[in-house]
Amino acid sequence: MKNHFTFVKICSYLILSIGIIIVIFPMYLTIVTSFKTTAESAENFFSWPNSLFLGNYVDVINSNNFLVYFSNSVFVTVFSVFLIILYIPAFSFVISRSLKKQHYYRFLFYFITIGIFVPFQILMIPVIRIMSSISLMNHSGLSLLYMSYAQIQGVFICTNYMMTIPTDLDESAYIDGCSIFRVIYSIIFPLAKPIVATLGIINILWIWNDFLLPLLVLNRSKSLWTLPLFQYNFKTTYSFDFNIAFAAFMLSIVPIMLVYLFAQKYIINGLTGGSVKQ
Amino acid sequence: MIKNKKNELQKFAITLPGFMLYLFFFIVPLIMGILYSLYEWNGISREKVYIGLSNYTRLLTDIRFTSSLSFTLYYTFLLVFMTIFIGILLALLLNTGVKGQNLFRTVFFFPAVLSLITVGLIWNEIFYRAIPSIGNSLQIVFLSKNILSNITYAKYGILFVNLWQGVSIPTVLFLASLQSVPGELYESARMDGANAFQSFARITLPFLFPMISLVTVLTLRNGLTTFDYVKAMTDGGPGGSTETVGLLVYNKAFLELEYSYAITQSTVLFVIVAIVSAIQFTLIKRRSEV
Repeated sequence: MKNHFTFVKICSYLILSIGIIIVIFPMYLTIVTSFKTTAESAENFFSWPNSLFLGNYVDVINSNNFLVYFSNSVFVTVFSVFLIILYIPAFSFVISRSLKKQHYYRFLFYFITIGIFVPFQILMIPVIRIMSSISLMNHSGLSLLYMSYAQIQGVFICTNYMMTIPTDLDESAYIDGCSIFRVIYSIIFPLAKPIVATLGIINILWIWNDFLLPLLVLNRSKSLWTLPLFQYNFKTTYSFDFNIAFAAFMLSIVPIMLVYLFAQKYIINGLTGGSVKQ
Repeated sequence: MIKNKKNELQKFAITLPGFMLYLFFFIVPLIMGILYSLYEWNGISREKVYIGLSNYTRLLTDIRFTSSLSFTLYYTFLLVFMTIFIGILLALLLNTGVKGQNLFRTVFFFPAVLSLITVGLIWNEIFYRAIPSIGNSLQIVFLSKNILSNITYAKYGILFVNLWQGVSIPTVLFLASLQSVPGELYESARMDGANAFQSFARITLPFLFPMISLVTVLTLRNGLTTFDYVKAMTDGGPGGSTETVGLLVYNKAFLELEYSYAITQSTVLFVIVAIVSAIQFTLIKRRSEV
């Protein structure tokens, strides 16, 4: 019995370790390649870099408007997520309080939630027509799209959470003469912190990493590109100088990696909790 | 009373921006798309010709579309199956009381926070530069060439990358369900003489079932609408063998300017995704009511 048990243990560790190696392997190659010269990589793709060669990073940052793309990504992500966490919890709060009493709110809830069934491909073509006809093929337009689509999952998870907050709190605040905005932002928001955090995390990751929407909305004007778009176009432009490409990958992964290291618990809970409730 | 009315009005006002955005950027394009599929139109010219269901009948005889659709379905089937299998396997192993469970979990989850396009581009370079050199030095013929340029195996290269990133969230979800199984159940099963397989089938699996349905829905959607990985790695090649419907719609609409026909193709995707999600939702609902 004891022997059987240790055998299972050893197998578990073995398979899990192989899993770890498979997960880490591409990350390792990305890091070492970004610090090597092309000649060094050609000699041995897998080896540790001989020296801490920063030339690839310097090239990416200097010659390709990298800082413009980086700040575009930061702007789009921050602006969209700001709109999302400011608005969607308030919207959901209002729905949650009248869902059972008024048809309009029940209709809204189901009407928005039903969007879960629709793949983006069917609307992407008309959306781009609409966006270009009202001259919104830019960062503000992109942020409005993120805000609109974030509602589909956001309203669903937030409304369910808001239902668990007792109604006496807001009702007594109204009696004390608080306005609805005061109730939402000074009473409900502090109580709904966990769901606001989840909403923020899901959308920060989605928007920072998204490729399809920027490809559709921003591809025509190079100065508006976000990082994923820059990386994709890099593939065609710099196919020979792949060490530079790896430095570009690193520069967009590092911010996310740092956030992951510090807020790992919240990110895991956010991404898994969000999908459980979807 | 007046106060109450004001409050109701303010509530209504709060819902307006979200409702309008959703209407304008989601519902209107959805309806426009379905209407456009009844026309012959390149998306640029002023002229639209009404052709009824001709775009739909064209789909049936369009070999590029049918092979793209069957590739997408095959790919999605494998993706769902493998995701569940690997996810459960890793979760079971993590749940055997290994030391450093949190460390393993941290590493296994990490791919979930990366951008699909970045992951695709990194693996593309690895398939092109790293794997063949391993294959050559170990004398394994299969690995000595770039798998992504092989017409038969390119799809499995993409599938591998998709799994590399796609099993991270399911593994954590399965682990959470496993941890919710009361330990006494296994204890009493062992006393009744059940072997490991029996207690897995009778105790663990029923606990996992809701999560399996959920992971199936999430993965089905991702599989059916696959775009980023293919765009990053093969761009549909070699020989169109990895052209998913998601990519085909994009190519038709924005590169080949067959605007209304592209929408027709995406309508088919819409119907499949909607049916699949509806089935899964009723399954989950029935399950949670029991």
